[in-house]
Amino acid sequence: MFKPLSILLTATVILSSCSSDDDAGTTNPVLEVPQNYTFTREGNSTVDFNGQTTRIAMAEAISSSLLDFDNATEASIMAQFTHAAGDADFGDAALNASDKNVRSKVAASIDYYNTNAVQSQAIKSTFDDFIAKQVSEVFPNQNVVAIAGTAGQIADGTRTRYVSATGLEYNQAFAKGILGALMTDQMLNNYLSVAVLDEGDNRANNDAGITAEGSNYTTMEHKWDEAYGYIYGASQDPANPNATIGEDDGFLNEYVGRVNDDADFNTIAETIFDAFKTGRAAIVAGDYITRDEQAAIIRAEVSKAIAVRGIYYLQQAKTKIEAGNQTGAFHGLSEAYGFIYSLQFTRNPQTDAPYLSAAEVTGLLDQLMGDGANGLWDLTVETIDAISESIAAEFDFTVAQAASVD
Amino acid sequence: MKRIISALTLITLVSFMSCTSDSTDDSGQGQTDQFDRGAMLVNWADNIIIPSYEAFDVEAKALNAAAAAFVATPDASTLGTLRKAWESAYFSFQNVELFDIGKAEEVRYSYRLNTYPSNATEITSAVESGNYDLALPSAVDAQGFPALDYLLFGLGDSDAEVLAFYTTDANAENYKKYLSDVIGSIEQLTATVLADWKNSFRGSFVSNTSSSASGSVDKLANDYIFYYEKLLRAGKVGIPAGIFSNEVLPQTVEAYYKEDLSKALLLEALNATQNFFNGKAYKGSATGASFKAYLDYLNTIKNGSDLSGLINVQFDAARAKANALNSSFVVQIETNNDALLETYNELQRNTILMKIDMLQALDISVDYVDADGD
Repeated sequence: MFKPLSILLTATVILSSCSSDDDAGTTNPVLEVPQNYTFTREGNSTVDFNGQTTRIAMAEAISSSLLDFDNATEASIMAQFTHAAGDADFGDAALNASDKNVRSKVAASIDYYNTNAVQSQAIKSTFDDFIAKQVSEVFPNQNVVAIAGTAGQIADGTRTRYVSATGLEYNQAFAKGILGALMTDQMLNNYLSVAVLDEGDNRANNDAGITAEGSNYTTMEHKWDEAYGYIYGASQDPANPNATIGEDDGFLNEYVGRVNDDADFNTIAETIFDAFKTGRAAIVAGDYITRDEQAAIIRAEVSKAIAVRGIYYLQQAKTKIEAGNQTGAFHGLSEAYGFIYSLQFTRNPQTDAPYLSAAEVTGLLDQLMGDGANGLWDLTVETIDAISESIAAEFDFTVAQAASVD
Repeated sequence: MKRIISALTLITLVSFMSCTSDSTDDSGQGQTDQFDRGAMLVNWADNIIIPSYEAFDVEAKALNAAAAAFVATPDASTLGTLRKAWESAYFSFQNVELFDIGKAEEVRYSYRLNTYPSNATEITSAVESGNYDLALPSAVDAQGFPALDYLLFGLGDSDAEVLAFYTTDANAENYKKYLSDVIGSIEQLTATVLADWKNSFRGSFVSNTSSSASGSVDKLANDYIFYYEKLLRAGKVGIPAGIFSNEVLPQTVEAYYKEDLSKALLLEALNATQNFFNGKAYKGSATGASFKAYLDYLNTIKNGSDLSGLINVQFDAARAKANALNSSFVVQIETNNDALLETYNELQRNTILMKIDMLQALDISVDYVDADGD
């Protein structure tokens, strides 16, 4: 009953934004949207998101370090997380030379955290804790078989997973949490934000074609591209990223690709890419209404991908628990943990707030880990279903649609 | 064409039927037809599974004895005997790997005996340090037949080079101990699984005739098709042929170091899989209640198709393709990978017939999913 209503509501909102479009008397009815994400000024590309590419690579490296039992220490992983230019924290010289790092952009968007420093610090600390606990709890038990209440390794088919005393893979919680706290938050709540796109003289400069100092792009163009880079920054062909969507990183690119493999959501990759292209073309044309409409589409769709994937992992884990394989469910549940955590960084374009608030996310995670003293070891299928339904209720799809890739 | 149409019609009818019976059968009894599942379970346990384990248990003990002789006197003769015992046991093992149920599932029997490619680096480090625990999940690719493949054939290019690791090498004692431990765990795990079948599991297995996810038929059907799809179709053929990667992966063939065994192991596994489908007694010619019989029984009721015939034709087609391959899949991949891909295609056709059509006809839900690889 709930859902048809909310769909109607969406339709109404779209209609009304169309009318306001007319009222504003925009004069460019035909927008030139290129086939690829290729934009030029006087023959030279204006697209640049190298900072995002760098941060994705850093996040990948940190994720790997979390399982580097032989070489990593808490200090070495934290040094990667808080990297300073010139420090030899990574195996890659380009990353070492970079003045960027991951931690400074965790929960750091202008819309959600500009005046919410306490929350921002708490979220950063959560990731610090994942690193610290991985090293202090899981590393010492590398060659111990995990049992309820004791960290160690578990079998997952031919794969070996390393879990905490409560069955959680901290490395998965970290990586899938970063997908929200870094990539999603920066994209949806920072670079696609009017506060960032229209900051200072951005509009006037963009209208006049005044490029940023030493660059070929206007500041507004660049901000939009930086949002783009958080999903496509590691793509083999960033101008035509859907050719390899799902294969290019372990974060948003991968999981938008995976969700797109599900017949129920098999247009999501195209929808997101089209919105990025159209919004960028709108910036070139100075059509800021269309720009913001496209930002709304990206916010809704990227948010949805996170929710779908979280429920997918929960439901896959449920199948394993039902088959009597509790520990076999831990890997999927650890991914689900990170996706649920990431829901607090989503953005409902109708409310400009996350689909699930930080408090709601905390509640769901407490449920996930709270069926008994030993967390995932005690988790029941009833709790899995309850959490799945709580998430789906905020979106326009069902648990069944998200549960399998059919 | 005609056969395909009739099969499709039947499947449609059957799935429609099973939907109907599902909705009227919420009481949880789950008995949707009158086929004698108990008789099928008895045939599986008494004429196929337990005899297969008994035969392999003999092979595992012989392997262990050959290892003891080799470790006592490592020379060309004892190495030759040990290698033959390994090969013979590896063949026999192809007849039990598909029964990943009960104690076998609990001890992760198939994973511990046949995860390949083996991890030579890990094996070397375990041997040199003498510090290892074969029961750890992370040690799964450092043991079983693939680790022995490396230890008996992969340590050097010549027999003399291999022998040197067990005689003159600084770590010779460690190599002998590791070899003994790997073989000992094969023997011990097998004895454990066989004893469980004989002592208690057989009883609960054959009496659990429920047609539900926890029933023996549903569970073993899933294990059987998982084995066929993942370990036989993908593991033995698809992965080395590059179906799931950007390039061919010859280093992932079964028995990589022995080199000329990959085809023979595939054929043995294919026979075991087809015989089980037909309910054929281990090393015998008698057939009993089986998936084939179950499908035929339903067909009689539904007036119709011979899905079982289609499946057998498809097994034969895959075998025909496999027979034409080089005895070494490494060589096959290098010379003409298309022939391996064609074998994969025939195997894949039966994945569809069994996983989709057969399971739908039998009203069995698939209980496993493809991992997303991360």
